[in-house]
Amino acid sequence: MAIPPALQVRDVTRSFGTRVALDRVSFDVRPGRLTGFVGANGAGKTTAMRIVMGVLAADAGTVTFGGEPIDLQARRQFGYMPEERGLYPKMRVLDQLVFFGRVHGLGPAVARARALELLEQLDLADRTTDVLHTLSLGNQQRVQVAAALLHEPVLLILDEPFSGLDPIAVDAMGARLRSRAEAGVPVLFSSHQLELVERLCDDLVVIHQGRIVAHGDAEHLQEERAGTRIRIAVDGGTAWLAGARGVRVVSTDPRGTVVELVDGGDGQALLAEAQRHGAVREFGRVVPSLSEIFREAIR
Amino acid sequence: MSAETSRGTLIRTIAGREISVKLRDKGFIASTIFFLVVIVAATVIPVILRDQTHDYTLAVAGDRAAAVAKVAAGLHSSAEALVRGGKADAALVSDGAALALIGKDAVTDDLVALAQAAAAQVDIAQVAVEAGLSPDQVQRIAAPTPPTVELLNAQPERAVPPILLVIIFGFLFYFSVLTFGVSIAQSVVEEKQSRVVELLVAAVPVRWLLAGKVLGNTALAVAQVTLIVGVGLAGAGIAGQSKVISQVLGASGWFLVFFLLGFLMLACLWAVAGSLASRVEDLQSTTMVMQVTVMVPFFATLFVTEPGRTQQVLSYIPFTAPLMMPARVINGTAQVWEPWVAAGIVLATAALFVALGARLYEGSVLRTSNRTGLIQAWRSEQ
Repeated sequence: MAIPPALQVRDVTRSFGTRVALDRVSFDVRPGRLTGFVGANGAGKTTAMRIVMGVLAADAGTVTFGGEPIDLQARRQFGYMPEERGLYPKMRVLDQLVFFGRVHGLGPAVARARALELLEQLDLADRTTDVLHTLSLGNQQRVQVAAALLHEPVLLILDEPFSGLDPIAVDAMGARLRSRAEAGVPVLFSSHQLELVERLCDDLVVIHQGRIVAHGDAEHLQEERAGTRIRIAVDGGTAWLAGARGVRVVSTDPRGTVVELVDGGDGQALLAEAQRHGAVREFGRVVPSLSEIFREAIR
Repeated sequence: MSAETSRGTLIRTIAGREISVKLRDKGFIASTIFFLVVIVAATVIPVILRDQTHDYTLAVAGDRAAAVAKVAAGLHSSAEALVRGGKADAALVSDGAALALIGKDAVTDDLVALAQAAAAQVDIAQVAVEAGLSPDQVQRIAAPTPPTVELLNAQPERAVPPILLVIIFGFLFYFSVLTFGVSIAQSVVEEKQSRVVELLVAAVPVRWLLAGKVLGNTALAVAQVTLIVGVGLAGAGIAGQSKVISQVLGASGWFLVFFLLGFLMLACLWAVAGSLASRVEDLQSTTMVMQVTVMVPFFATLFVTEPGRTQQVLSYIPFTAPLMMPARVINGTAQVWEPWVAAGIVLATAALFVALGARLYEGSVLRTSNRTGLIQAWRSEQ
C-alpha cells in the first residue's frame, strides 16, 4: 500500500500591508494523525489555513501535498471548515450538501447518496428538506461538518471545529476526526481549548505572532520539556530556590515550586540542597501540560 | 474518487444552484405570473373590446316606422337589431310622414344616425317608385356601390402601433435587468455575508464562480422574457390576431438578441456591485450606479421616439443600444446592417465589462468585513 500523503508547509510568509501575518512558517501535517494548531487570537492560524486551502495566496514559501504543489484538482479533494461558518441560509439541507458535493467533484447521484448517509449519521435524517436557517445552531454546525466530510476528503483543514459545541457534541466531533485520521487522512485543526487539544491531538503546532514556536509529536514535546523540570516541596518553604545556581523557577503554588534545570544544573545536587533546607515532601519530574508548553512557548 | 474537474461541470453546478434557488423564490414566481397575466390581458382585451358591437332594440308604432326600422335593421352591421315591443332602447313612432324617435333618458347618436339613414333610404325608394323607376334602378339609388380605396404610398398594415411594441419591449428589458441584476448582487452579497464564499473559493476559481452566477441568471432571464413574449403571442393567436403575431415575431428576433447581449454586459457589473457590499444593507448604495445605468436608457427610449440623429446615435451607444436599436428596427428606420454593427459594439463592451467585472469581483469578494472601494478592489491581489 502506498504511504498516504502528508501536507508540508515550508517557509510560508504573508503580509497584509505592513503587518506580517506569517513569517517563514513551516510545519507538517502527517497522515493518520490529528494535528492541533494552537496560538493566541491573531497569531496567524486562520491565515495559514486559508493559504493551505488556496483562499489566500502566500507572498513566499510553498505548500505541498504528497510532495506535489497543490492545484485546483488536489484542493477540491480537501475538506475545509472555515472559521466563520458558511452555508446558504435559505437553501434546503440536502440540496445544499448535494451542491457542495458537486462543487467538490462528486457526481449528482453519489453526492446525494453520501449526503443522505452523513445526515443519517449526524441524526439529521428528518431535516433533509428543511431550510438551513430553521435549524438550531448546533444542527447547522453538524450540516457544516457534513459539508466538509461529504466528498471523503484526503486532507482535513478545520478552523476551530469545536467552538460553540456542547460537551457531548465535542466528544462526537473528536471521535469523528479520530476515525478520519485512523483512515490515514492528515487532519489539522485549530483550537483555543488547550485541554481539548491535549486530549485529542497526536501532533502539535504552536504559532505565536506569525512564527512557529514549537511543533512536533505532542508527547515528545512534553517529554522534551519534562526532562529538566522538577517539582519541589520542602517544609520551611522554597524561597531559597530563587538564588540557587543552575535553576530557574518556573512557577510557585501552594503545592510547591516548579523549577527548570539550566546551565548544566544537577538534579541530585538540587535534592541535596533541598534536604538542607528542611524535610523534602515532594521531589519529582514534571510532565508539562500542553497549556503550559503553549504559555512557555509564547512567552 | 470520481473527480470531475472540468470547468464546464463546475460552472454548470454554480449556475444550476442559482436557477433552482430562483425557481423557488416566491418573488420571482409572482413577478412572472404577474407579467403573464398583464401580457395576456394586453393582447386579448383590446380584441374583445373591438369585436363588441351594439344591438339596439326599437319599439315601433306606425307603418312608416315599421318600414324604416326594417331598413335600419338591414343597415346595422350585425343585422340582428330586434324590432319588437317590450324592453327597448327607444321607440320609433310614425304618424303619416312624421317620424319620432322616443327615448327614456337619452338616445345614442349611433341610433339617431341609423334611423336617419334608414328614413332617407325609405323616402328615396318611395320617391323613385313614384317616379316609375324599375326596382333595379331603385336599388342602385337607395344603396349606391361605394368606391374602393387605393393608397399610392401604402404603409405595411400594423396591428399594433410600433411605439407600443417599443415600450413593451423596453419595459421588459428594464424590468428584467433590474430584478435579475439586483438578484445577482444579492446572491453575491449573501455568499459574502454568510461566509459561504470562503468554502466555495477553496474549490472553485473566483472567475468560474462569477461565470456560473452570471450565466445561470442570464439563462433564467432570457427564459422568462421568451416565455412572456411567447405567451403574449399565444394570447394573440387565441384572439385571432394573426397580424399581431407576425408583426411581433418579426420584431422580437433582434429584441431577444439585444436582450441577451445587454443583459450579459450588465450582469457582471451587478455582480461587482454585490461584491463591493459586505452586508445586504449596503446593497442600496453599491448598486446605485447600476440602477441609474439601467433606468436612464429606458427613459431615453421612452422620450426619444422621433426618428432622427439622436435616436441614431443612441442606438450605437452600448448602454442604450439594447433598447434603441430594436426600437429602430421595429419602426423600420434602421438599415439592414445597422443592428449587426450595434450588436457587435454591445458584445465588445460586454467582453470588456466581463473582464473588468471579474477582476473587481476577485478583488472584493473575499473582503467580508467592510464595504470595499472600487480602487481597493482593483488593486488588491488575493
